[in-house]
Amino acid sequence: MTRASVVGAGMTKFGVHDRPLQELFGEAAFEAFDDAGVEPADVESFYFGNAMGGQTENDTHLAPKLASHVGIAGVPAQRYEDACATSANAFKNAVQAVEAGIHDVVLVGGVERCTPQTGLDTAEMTRIFASASHRQYEQPTGLTFPGVFALLTKRHMHEHGTTPEHLAHVAVKNHEHGTRNPRAHFGKETTVEAVLEGPIVADPFRLMDCCPFSDGAAAVVLVSDEVADSYDAPVDVTGIGHATDVVPIGDKLTPHVTQAARDASAQAYEQAGITAADVDFAEVHDCFTGAEVMASEAIGLIEDGQGGPAAAEGRTSYDGDIPINASGGLKAKGHPIGATGAAQIVELTEQIRGEAGARQLDEAEYGVAHNLGGDAATTLVTVMEGRR
Amino acid sequence: MSSDLPERLTYGEWTRALKEGRLLGQACGACANVLGTPKGACPHCGTRDLETVELPTSGEVYTETTVMVPPEGVEERGYQVAVVQVGEARVMGRVDGNGGEVHVDIGDSVELTGYIKGEGDDPAPLFRPAD
Ligand SMILES: [Zn+2]
Repeated sequence: MTRASVVGAGMTKFGVHDRPLQELFGEAAFEAFDDAGVEPADVESFYFGNAMGGQTENDTHLAPKLASHVGIAGVPAQRYEDACATSANAFKNAVQAVEAGIHDVVLVGGVERCTPQTGLDTAEMTRIFASASHRQYEQPTGLTFPGVFALLTKRHMHEHGTTPEHLAHVAVKNHEHGTRNPRAHFGKETTVEAVLEGPIVADPFRLMDCCPFSDGAAAVVLVSDEVADSYDAPVDVTGIGHATDVVPIGDKLTPHVTQAARDASAQAYEQAGITAADVDFAEVHDCFTGAEVMASEAIGLIEDGQGGPAAAEGRTSYDGDIPINASGGLKAKGHPIGATGAAQIVELTEQIRGEAGARQLDEAEYGVAHNLGGDAATTLVTVMEGRR
Repeated sequence: MSSDLPERLTYGEWTRALKEGRLLGQACGACANVLGTPKGACPHCGTRDLETVELPTSGEVYTETTVMVPPEGVEERGYQVAVVQVGEARVMGRVDGNGGEVHVDIGDSVELTGYIKGEGDDPAPLFRPAD
């Protein structure tokens, strides 16, 4: 059943952007407005995601600031923060408000600036990213964010025989996909050998197993089912699951299964009336190569333990049986934290509309977005379909 | 020993014990899970019926990683962080690498050897390979 519909989508190129958050977000928002054919006066509310602006650039209370910049000051505007799942959560709340009849037309989006070129250096950003791990029971160990996913991935490797070569194949695939995406942070191919020769960040992850620090913004116009038909090319949101898991990692029952993703995807598929077997393609949260392997299994697209071999065999490639991260994913498209979840919705919208250009998939009827936050303790899974 | 265990385990009690070379956890009276760090209620079932328990100070590495790119404020690099199974609970700590000479793998036996201080002097368990 349709819960809400995306009728306009926009995003900046992900990469280095030396301009203020409102101007960066404005580019994405105006593109979404123009795509939808809405005027600011049509927009009834603003659901916004930014994870770290307070820490990185001393910029908070951003929802009304950005609303003012894009011409919608006056409407109720709210900011969400759930680490890397920030704007998927904004999107979920927007869907619920529209579905409940509170609003008919809303703007949803996110923005973040994370690059050393426009902000803090790598060591400072590494410290800020680590703030998502448990303040008392994890941060004092010196754990970093790559370290968090390294701990989960190492256990997955132990349980299932996933290898560094498997992980490298995920990076190679997503870089190849990124060459097809003009808005990707990285547009160059790489090789398994090059990935395996990179410097170690937190073993088993080498530099090329990790997504970049990116600047960027993404936005969509979301409308109620009732008014969707009055817009060109609406894409329906038929399910959104949202689940959490225990923090810290030590108290999770089985960390590498990423239980929140299993729970969120089960909810989303049930709402949409589909199963994982119906899914044509997915955008998953590949902040690290190991995260994509675990996500592809957790949301049911690949059998448990086979996420690594599936990537190596090309099953998750652009031309494979279940394409994952045709956009290049976080790995190649980039990861401006608070914009990432909204950018996944933009990609699903473009693929389902058949507007994805050089990365357009043959079959893109049912798309799924998987956006996680922190040590995967927040996960949102969204199902979108073309309107028939 | 149990007489000196706090009825309600807090961060303060947990760190005080750690500085004495002990690991305290919580046993859930309802779902039987054992927690390695203090909670107000069981995260698995919601009950507040949590009994403070003394955890073993030796155990087995559940998972580990070696951090080569540290956060700001950490001077060294190449240190190992591990989640250690201690009895029925797990706790995260640093591995005493003895200047990079010592490395542990999943399944290796380790024992608590003290603590390190993180930012703001917050302590974290320090483990070393068991003899
Ligand atoms: Zn319990």
